Amino acid sequence: MNDYAIELDGVCKSYRFFDLDNISLQLARGTIMGLIGPNGAGKSTTIRILMGLVRQDRGEIRALGRRMPEEQASAKRDIGFASDDMRLYDGMTVGWHMNFMKSIYQSWDGDYAQLLLKRFGLRAEQKIKGLSHGQRVKATLLLVLARRPKLLVLDEPTTGLDPVARHEILYELTGVMADEGRSILFSSQNTQDVEQISDRITFIDRGRIIDSMDKEAYLERWRRLRLEAPAGVALPALPGVIGIRQTGRLAVVIANEFAPELPSAYESSGARVHAVENMTLEEIFVANVERSREGVTV
Amino acid sequence: MNESVIWRLILKDVRLHRFQIILSSAVGAGALALFQTKREVPLVLGATWFSVALIVLGCMMPISNVVNERKNHHVAFLMSLPISARQYAMTKIASTFGMFFVPWALLAGGALLVIGAGFPHGAIPISTIITGLILTGFCVVAGTAVVSESEAWTTVAIVLCNSSYGIAWYLIIRVPETARQVGGSVAVWSPRLLTILGAECAVVILCLGLTLYLQSRKRDFI
Repeated sequence: MNDYAIELDGVCKSYRFFDLDNISLQLARGTIMGLIGPNGAGKSTTIRILMGLVRQDRGEIRALGRRMPEEQASAKRDIGFASDDMRLYDGMTVGWHMNFMKSIYQSWDGDYAQLLLKRFGLRAEQKIKGLSHGQRVKATLLLVLARRPKLLVLDEPTTGLDPVARHEILYELTGVMADEGRSILFSSQNTQDVEQISDRITFIDRGRIIDSMDKEAYLERWRRLRLEAPAGVALPALPGVIGIRQTGRLAVVIANEFAPELPSAYESSGARVHAVENMTLEEIFVANVERSREGVTV
Repeated sequence: MNESVIWRLILKDVRLHRFQIILSSAVGAGALALFQTKREVPLVLGATWFSVALIVLGCMMPISNVVNERKNHHVAFLMSLPISARQYAMTKIASTFGMFFVPWALLAGGALLVIGAGFPHGAIPISTIITGLILTGFCVVAGTAVVSESEAWTTVAIVLCNSSYGIAWYLIIRVPETARQVGGSVAVWSPRLLTILGAECAVVILCLGLTLYLQSRKRDFI
């Protein structure tokens, strides 16, 4: 058994107006990876390829050590997959879906399914067509979680949910990780959700992975410096700095490899450092995408 | 293990479509009951309802079981289950064809029994060819639905098949030996009728084979 729940190596897929270009990423067992990208970045395509819904043109994929899509039937016994465009059968009840899953998965945990039913405020006799969007998402996740999968692959599961529903779902996902052998790949445009539960973050834009590292490393390394530069003082582009925006005397410096010496280096160049601020994951994401689109590797 | 998943998916399709299957079969059986009156008007009504029951079932199954499954975004849910893309496709082919073929075989068999018991046997060849034509049309529609997964293309296939039934029946009735022997007491299988029946069988086999072949070459399932 290798140490990775997911391995993508040089995965490419071409469409008429979109290319997924050389996607390589690894998700270690027992970790949660957040896949963040704007609309049309390639998050869903990457996940569909991983799940065998779409076949890659090139590249190797392994999920739980099994080659995809060749061994998808056996791999998917241990993978729980849910996406925001996945729909259950409108005319059937939540209970019917639960029985259907129970008939397929030996790992189905009936007690846990009943517990989730209560926690999510669902009733087994409710038909899917009578559920709100949030309840449908919860019903789908219930079906996925009660299988007790070793790997969860979730494509924008919190899209369109109210804050309470999002909180309930994120709480359950973190609960899944109580078993250290489990792993989650979780795509979202909502950086708050990803920041809340992920160990590792991967940014994707325009079909390319633009950065991937531990969440803590991002939050540690990225800083925003607010400076005042007197007239005639040119702010130098120091190592670790990826952007300087200056409006009159005031300047904002973005560093993706912040070092404690950076503020004093700017002080030495004649600027006054007003503040050194931590950046949120959303700010890091936006800065990353902007730099990537300008053609600079961050 | 995987055979059981495939079987569960087929049973799921049957469960979801049981009312359509039961309703069509009931209408077809009722139509056969009208045959027993042996009077002209109920006979014509029975023949019409019998054909309509099978034709409607043949149109509904591909639309409901294949096209709507994609349109309603159920494919992603089903493909999250432990099956391969090819197994999912085979499941769809098996359930769609099976859910039509079983009622069709029962009703077509019933029709031949009713005709054999109470009508001149000369009507048996033309009845066989007409019910065979409905099966052929269904195979064309179902094959189009499975391969294209498109409502538009499936509708085109339905329109073409349904409009060709009337023309085909008209031409079959005008085959000289059919008109001559339909009222006779003995079923006569002329070479021309056997050729038509053979052509129907060939189209059914071709549709099934092409559907399996084209489906096995698909790379993307969503």
